[in-house]
Amino acid sequence: MAFDISTMRNIGISAHIDSGKTTLSERILYYCNKIHAIHEVKGKDGVGATMDSMELERERGITIASAATNVEWRKHSINLIDTPGHVDFTIEVERALRVLDGAVLVLCSVGGVQSQSITVDRQLKRYKVPRVAFINKCDRAGANPYRVKEQLCEKLGHNAVLMQVPIGLEEKFAGMVDLVTMKALYFDGDHGEDMREEQIPADLREEAEARRVELIDAVSMYSDELAEAYLEGKETEEQIRTAVRKGVLSLDLTPVFVGTAYKNKGVQPLLDAVVEYLPSPRDRKYFALDLDNDEAEIPLEALDDKPTVALAFKLEDGHYGQLTYIRIYQGSLKKGDELTNIRSGKSFKVGRLVRMHASAMEDIQSAPCGDIVALFGVDCASGDTFAQGGLNYSLTSMFVPEPVISLAIKPKDNKSADNMSKALNRFSKEDPTFRSHVDAESKETIIRGMGELHLDIYIERMKREYNVEIETGQPQVAYRETITQRVEFDYTHRKQSGGSGQYGRVAGIMEPIHDRDYEFIDEIVGGVIPREFISSCDKGFKACLARGSIIGFPIVGVKITINDGQSHSVDSSDMAFQLAAIGAFRQAYARARPEILEPIMKVSIEGPAEFQGNALASINQRRGIIISTSEDNTFSRVDAEVPLAEMFGFSTVLRSITQGKANFTMEFARYGKVPASKCEELIKQYQEQAKKRA
Amino acid sequence: MVRKELIKRSPLRILEKSTRGGLGKGNIGVIAARKGVGKTACLVHIATDQLFQEKHVIHVSYSGKIGHIVQWYEDIFQEIAKRYKLDCAMDVHDDIIRNRLVMNFEQANVTVAKIEKNIRTLMEKGSFSVETIVLDGYDFNKATVKEFGEFRRFARDNAFELWFSATLKEDTNAKSRVPPMLAPYMDDIAILICLQPRGEFIHLDLVKDHDAEMVSDMHLKLDPRILLIAEENQAERVV
Repeated sequence: MAFDISTMRNIGISAHIDSGKTTLSERILYYCNKIHAIHEVKGKDGVGATMDSMELERERGITIASAATNVEWRKHSINLIDTPGHVDFTIEVERALRVLDGAVLVLCSVGGVQSQSITVDRQLKRYKVPRVAFINKCDRAGANPYRVKEQLCEKLGHNAVLMQVPIGLEEKFAGMVDLVTMKALYFDGDHGEDMREEQIPADLREEAEARRVELIDAVSMYSDELAEAYLEGKETEEQIRTAVRKGVLSLDLTPVFVGTAYKNKGVQPLLDAVVEYLPSPRDRKYFALDLDNDEAEIPLEALDDKPTVALAFKLEDGHYGQLTYIRIYQGSLKKGDELTNIRSGKSFKVGRLVRMHASAMEDIQSAPCGDIVALFGVDCASGDTFAQGGLNYSLTSMFVPEPVISLAIKPKDNKSADNMSKALNRFSKEDPTFRSHVDAESKETIIRGMGELHLDIYIERMKREYNVEIETGQPQVAYRETITQRVEFDYTHRKQSGGSGQYGRVAGIMEPIHDRDYEFIDEIVGGVIPREFISSCDKGFKACLARGSIIGFPIVGVKITINDGQSHSVDSSDMAFQLAAIGAFRQAYARARPEILEPIMKVSIEGPAEFQGNALASINQRRGIIISTSEDNTFSRVDAEVPLAEMFGFSTVLRSITQGKANFTMEFARYGKVPASKCEELIKQYQEQAKKRA
Repeated sequence: MVRKELIKRSPLRILEKSTRGGLGKGNIGVIAARKGVGKTACLVHIATDQLFQEKHVIHVSYSGKIGHIVQWYEDIFQEIAKRYKLDCAMDVHDDIIRNRLVMNFEQANVTVAKIEKNIRTLMEKGSFSVETIVLDGYDFNKATVKEFGEFRRFARDNAFELWFSATLKEDTNAKSRVPPMLAPYMDDIAILICLQPRGEFIHLDLVKDHDAEMVSDMHLKLDPRILLIAEENQAERVV
């Protein structure tokens, strides 16, 4: 019997770090009978939650790699993607979001909507992922799910509506009232596996009824049928559910559930909600770019008999070789099928096809449309598209930010050197925001990434997974150089010392541009520079951009127009004009008032209101600009823009000035001008280094 | 045009002339109008004018939409820069945003003392000096004369210029002068400007000027298309 795609759910669990996401995943696996024992994240038994497949994650209590695992709930096949929670790994989160059809946004009932939740929510919105919210940790002191629901509306702009009312809170949290069925739910058994339905406790009756009215008011706008039935007082549970589902699929409504995964309460109703309200692959619209037709958008059809289009979204180095996680957007896949990697043009046969459990796997013969499965031994990079039947489609390339920080690393011995290059090769394939190269001048290996922690994690992974002992240098900010003034140039390159000579003259204008890194305009008339040498000029100018003359960082924001020149019938050559352009660039650059740019980060600090002063002071000390402060009752948030160069070691500083009660997130905002005093310092450093090298 | 020239030619100089030198330190000014007429635009323009003059501005909001307010400032700045053909606009922008800060509260549980405390923390710990404070979205219906008096003391003690917006239920008219909602607070209000939609534009009527209560048209208008204050009869010299 053919697989019914409407019973498939690809979901992710997105959340703030420490909001209990991994614990929730663990419980979901348990209730779906995928695992037979429950382990905690920072387990005293040393086993760790099953979804944290990497040892390092186990130690730090955080999830770095997104492992996909398949579970079954009420005859629905659910692929669960555990997404990382820390902002430094957002590329991992974003890559996971790309393949999700729906998401569970987990929030802590005490901490509420924090800065990271805002980042995660923005990502969900960018990929148009419908979501349900789960307010976790209702058993904690200070739990207030009502406040969190309000925050969802105010801070995230969701149309959030409570689907349940908690029965008791903090240590008295006993269960919840389902506002659709109007039944109280309790969880019995050692691990809450037996769900028991009861009458609503008398003291909650009124509250529950009021909240149900709120719920129906909010969702009846998605269903005229429900609105009419409600006016007559004849609404059915099914009508409410249908309306909620419509609201969720339109990305407009966020149904809110409550519970505590740790105490085993509220997980099964959440699973019901996943099945009930989140979309199947067919409910979402996906597009591919037709590479034969100027990248025109082509809608994909979630049908098994169409030619296959799939995305490799995650690579993992397993015990048996490289494992490639794919999501099938169109068509189906079976063992022995031939696929083409659109990027490399290489075809390959599908060998082993597996469905993944967190750290175990199941061999399968075929996978239906919409499914998330893994392939073995396929040579590819993360983000590659695989297609069948001669389709030259590419799934939209993901937005990849440029690295903002770099670090020089050196292996301690020869064995480490071999393994280090293996590790770097692997990591840069897995994570497009992680790059590595060997610096031509210093011969040092440089790794680049999105933040201090991002690089730290990879250094740790090298140690653990590849046995690489390395020494690291000081983290280095990715500065840029740019120009601020329009200048004219006129340069002649002439060389006549034996053999064939070299001759080329270029003249034109160098001026700043803001919207791109480089632009070349050819305004040569009358062939004063022959056609064939125009591209030589462009090449020469481009070569200069790699390294500016102030502090040796790449140059951005330069527009070059060439409008005059001269050539020689014998002595002009490609090389002569390249050198002429290089000479012209150097001459003009020095006069174009070059300046240094630095990455400015958007920093948000959140914590108890009493530490606001300390947070403000810490930003002030770091050349930061405070953009806004916000306060509600006990929590305060400070948003600021701070140069990345000043943010090294900030997590330690923040911990000490707020007694560990505040946290912060940081992401790249823009490049900004480096102040004069700092410029001098950088120039001095650069000159000293240059001297040393000489 | 350079920054100095821009300040000199700003229509807000007319406002200053009409009000004998402007609001002045330690005083409270109020812009009153119905919802959606342009109070925030006026306040942001006044605040931006202060920023151009190298003064520091705190914008206190009760709406919770910080991004929205920051965007207001960006839009008004861009509009001014464009109209004036401001030289080195990006440099000026980067320079003045250092002096601007948005502070958000929920009015339901914020007292004047709390706002004062936060501003003091900001001045001391954040090394932020303050000359002008804009309070947008303050609900006069929930206010008391005593609380408003506290704001006056707060402005006077710290020598701040305090600008409020007041949302009226209906348009004022020339006869009624002071809107009834604001009547109890008039002792503490130095300048009251009512926004009146007349024809294509919204006119700025000066209802109270320090010790004098009157209704005079300052011949300033708010152009709803660009949301900037402009002089009447000088379509070209918009800003």
